[in-house]
Amino acid sequence: MENATPALFFAGIDIGSTMSKAVVVDAQGAMRGYVVGPTGAEHRRRANKVMEDVLLKVGITLDQVAYIISTGYGRVNVPFADKQVTELTCHARGVASLFPDVRTAIDIGGQDAKVLKIKSGRLTDFLTNDKCAAGTGRFLEVAAETLGLELNEMGQISLQSDTPVKINSLCTIFAQQEIISRLSEGQPLTDILAGVYIAVTTRVVKLARQLKVEPPVVFTGGVAKNSGMVKAMETVLGMPVLVPEEPLITGALGAAILARDEAFKLVQDGHYKIQKKQLSEAYIEFTEKKL
Amino acid sequence: MSETATPSKTEKKRAINRLKSMYPLRNVVQQDYIDTLKASNEGKPTVWSMLNYWEGDLPLKAMGLNIVYPENYATLLAASGAAEPFLDASDSDGFPTHMCGYGRSTIGYSYRMMKENGGKIPPDAPLGGMAKPALLLGSGIICDARFKWFQSLARYFDAPEWCLEMPMMATYEGSEPDLEAYQVKFLVKELKDFIAFLEKLFKQKMDWAKLEELTDLAVKIHETTYKISELRQSIPGPMHATDFWSSMPPSLFFAGDMKVSLKCYQDMLAEVQERVNNKVSGINYPERYRLIFAELPPWHSLKFFDSLAEMGWNFVFESFGYHAPKPPDLSKYSDPCEKLARLSRNFMFNVFPEAKADNIQNPIVETYLKIARGFKADGFFMHPLISCRAASCSLRTVQHWEQEKLDVPSLWVEGDIIDKRVFNPQEVLARAEAFEQTMDHYRKVRKSRGLDW
Amino acid sequence: MVTATTKGLSRAHEIYADRGKRVRELRKAGKKIIGYICLYPPIEIITAMGMVPFRIFGDMSEPITVADKVSTTVVCPFLRSIIDLGIKGKFDFLDGAVGAHTCDIGMTTIIAWRDYIKDAPFTHLIDVPHTDHAPAVDYFEGQINFFKQHIEELAGEKLSGDKLKKACELHNKQRKLVRDLYDLRKSDPPRLNSMENLEVMVSLFSLPVEEGNELLEAVIREVKERSIKPAKKKARLLVWGPVFDNTSLYELVESTGADVVVDDTCVGTRAFWADVKAPYDLHALAQRYLVDIKCPRTYRDTQHQETERSYDKDLDSRFSYIKKAVTDWHVNGVVLQSVKYCDTHGYEVPNLRHYLDTLGIPSIYIEHDYSERSLAPIKTRVEAFVETLG
Repeated sequence: MENATPALFFAGIDIGSTMSKAVVVDAQGAMRGYVVGPTGAEHRRRANKVMEDVLLKVGITLDQVAYIISTGYGRVNVPFADKQVTELTCHARGVASLFPDVRTAIDIGGQDAKVLKIKSGRLTDFLTNDKCAAGTGRFLEVAAETLGLELNEMGQISLQSDTPVKINSLCTIFAQQEIISRLSEGQPLTDILAGVYIAVTTRVVKLARQLKVEPPVVFTGGVAKNSGMVKAMETVLGMPVLVPEEPLITGALGAAILARDEAFKLVQDGHYKIQKKQLSEAYIEFTEKKL
Repeated sequence: MSETATPSKTEKKRAINRLKSMYPLRNVVQQDYIDTLKASNEGKPTVWSMLNYWEGDLPLKAMGLNIVYPENYATLLAASGAAEPFLDASDSDGFPTHMCGYGRSTIGYSYRMMKENGGKIPPDAPLGGMAKPALLLGSGIICDARFKWFQSLARYFDAPEWCLEMPMMATYEGSEPDLEAYQVKFLVKELKDFIAFLEKLFKQKMDWAKLEELTDLAVKIHETTYKISELRQSIPGPMHATDFWSSMPPSLFFAGDMKVSLKCYQDMLAEVQERVNNKVSGINYPERYRLIFAELPPWHSLKFFDSLAEMGWNFVFESFGYHAPKPPDLSKYSDPCEKLARLSRNFMFNVFPEAKADNIQNPIVETYLKIARGFKADGFFMHPLISCRAASCSLRTVQHWEQEKLDVPSLWVEGDIIDKRVFNPQEVLARAEAFEQTMDHYRKVRKSRGLDW
Repeated sequence: MVTATTKGLSRAHEIYADRGKRVRELRKAGKKIIGYICLYPPIEIITAMGMVPFRIFGDMSEPITVADKVSTTVVCPFLRSIIDLGIKGKFDFLDGAVGAHTCDIGMTTIIAWRDYIKDAPFTHLIDVPHTDHAPAVDYFEGQINFFKQHIEELAGEKLSGDKLKKACELHNKQRKLVRDLYDLRKSDPPRLNSMENLEVMVSLFSLPVEEGNELLEAVIREVKERSIKPAKKKARLLVWGPVFDNTSLYELVESTGADVVVDDTCVGTRAFWADVKAPYDLHALAQRYLVDIKCPRTYRDTQHQETERSYDKDLDSRFSYIKKAVTDWHVNGVVLQSVKYCDTHGYEVPNLRHYLDTLGIPSIYIEHDYSERSLAPIKTRVEAFVETLG
């Protein structure tokens, strides 16, 4: 097979609670392709599926992938991964690869939220919220159901509101009741939605404040695609936020880059003994290029 | 019906029949914050003190020092709906969120004052706020984690801290008569050290005559409030719990001028007596059920009691920890420190002798058994707090023994003193309606057992 | 008995798995077994009276099912677990239960014991003042004296000074042996992992002091003879916080690629770091328990009587023993763990973390509700923390 670039790739797989993501990078750490799909109940099958899909998308085979790191809530269920790394470290690495100066990253996932402090591309401190749905994507889903909307419709609608309704309840169930009573009071849908965004972001920003928010701030996770959420985040935070083009895949991207780093480190330390011997060639090529 | 004892009838009937004599007492504490702040602006020191059951209050007052009570201030923050930014500030400085709401409020207040506002009072602080402390006076009585709370404020203030000691066991080991002398000896030593420290810190001498005078006044105040409590056993209950909560600070920590407070409580005693004589109720609806509130109220949702009053629920007694017991006879002691030690110690140790009669070890249980009998309670409103161990930990046991020994049922409602987000008044009202059937049932059971209510 | 066939660590493992086994045997042979809660009842007095002190622990793997009629859910889940086990009859081998006012909930636990747990007819509650002021130490000495008198009634004999001295020496010997054992974890990698260490500690709380000392000597011999496994891990951690009597937390932490090399908990260093000093009388006991044990439940008033307070000085006087442990055990990260609703430890958290920051030691704070189930969600956070240290 003719191939101009070294046939050496590294992959990161992020099995989140609702979505699974896979990213492939090359020896230079540049992203060559990604896929995103729902996680579902069977993590193992899902891991195989996203891996197959991403290989197909990049146009390579599994033996061209030298090292794989799995991350996320389902990271232990990726049988072909060489190593598991927490989503916190992976997110930090992924975000820093896109925004090298980042100091704070806020990620809101389907079932959790995390705040990362990053310095020189490294994770230095973090906090997570996995106990309470109120500060996660789950809350938005509940709100969408209650309002009879599709999730992706929500963002645009709320952008029109200047007077968000105040949602006081801490608990998702109470908040749902509150949304219903606001609706029955005849409050405009846009104001209620904007209120929901403010409520979710307020919860997460409280978490973030414990770590002292420093700019630049990067906002990731599925909900960062929602323009209403981004606006709410900037309002509550009182500063602008950066959002990656594809805010769902930063964890998988970080895992892929870490896979590359890890593989090179193993070669350097002379520990790399498995048959993927092309790796050492790629490594030499890579370091020579760098020089 | 006495016209003087009822509030003027306005257009809408008020659910709770507030005592006229409550208002001046409620104002005492508010005025105290304003006066203390004014004094601070004139350069006088402010002491931050915890509820200490008089052990520390009286020496401070005898030296003419201005005192604020962060725990009380936290209830004001909650009642005025202003608590949230202070709680958030505590969280953001790394204090665990499960901790005491009063503690978190104060930590947040201190954080915002010192770290965000350059030492100035946060602008959204109600009643003008609390001035920076010159002394932090801690106490562990009733709730011992409080020792750590003021210690943790060293992050923000360089004010010295003093922790008052108090023997803690209201159990038989601590209640044998021969132990009293040993406990008093300990307290007297501590008090002497404390007063010596106050003299050194504030560079002024203790006015011992004043201390004795105030201790005598304290006894008189407590005699009066104790009489009011006894009168409240009448049917219908002449004074609603909300009136007690509004009027308690001048007896619980002697806010304001104690002479004025004594007069106010005497007025209150007269008004309650008059209501008893005329069978006037503490609610403006027929008293259908007599409830006891245990233990600390949802300060942020006191209006909620109006809805219950409309249902005929009279809260005839509440919060045993906020009631001064019948004061001891101090006339035979000459040392002012000993008088004070005995007055203060009495709070912890007055109940146990009675507990033995019921063969129950937990003095709080015994206290509430006595209250249920005396007040002929139909039910308990149990309010376990998500952020308070001290006032919540015995409530299950109280519930258990009230049911077991007296067939008095409890309505169990989780809530908090500060955090209003866990309390859902609508849901509680729905449950309250159902609870009436339970209370009706146990009325019959009690009667069949030969109990008289 | 530790024999040539039962090596130290496997013996500890057996006792850890069935804590009541040995004391049941001893009870059959006529010994009185006195249970106690937390670190503050002076166990030297129990030993000196010829009885066996047995530390009452909870059980993280046993769901709390019957304690709800006694306690609310917002209090220390460890103490709730004790009440739960007690009502279920799991402490039927005890002749007595001794509690102390270590904290309010500790006190209500022993009060609840009296009303709900009928297995141990002898109960005693010791008041523990909250400061280390001189009058407080005197008062506490009086409390120890009442306890002594009460247990003398149970024993039907008086406690002699000689017996107390001998008991103090035996317990001091145990403390010295534990410190020797901890020294074996200073190497990299440590010669003993934290799970093994905890099993030994829990065993010591389940045996008469002499048997505990024999066990320790056997364990130390065995561990010294071990060859050190080559694989070093990237983190050497100190675990801080209230009682932790179960290996599961240490397993969780070590599974993330870290060694826990030392702790500041009451099932470890806090219980064994301070000796009773000569002349081994009640005052010496009061001093040891109230002043020398480093649990945040005591307000150690290092700037007592001073008219100004320095935060830095305060931190240093409260936590310099942790600094020493960090240096001596080459610690590069600290895990602060706490059961929920422990305000006593909670107030300490930001201050201790700040102090560790000034030492350049990263830390993480984790909370659990004293159930194995509540540990699982913590794992990712600990793992990420360890990753930041690598």
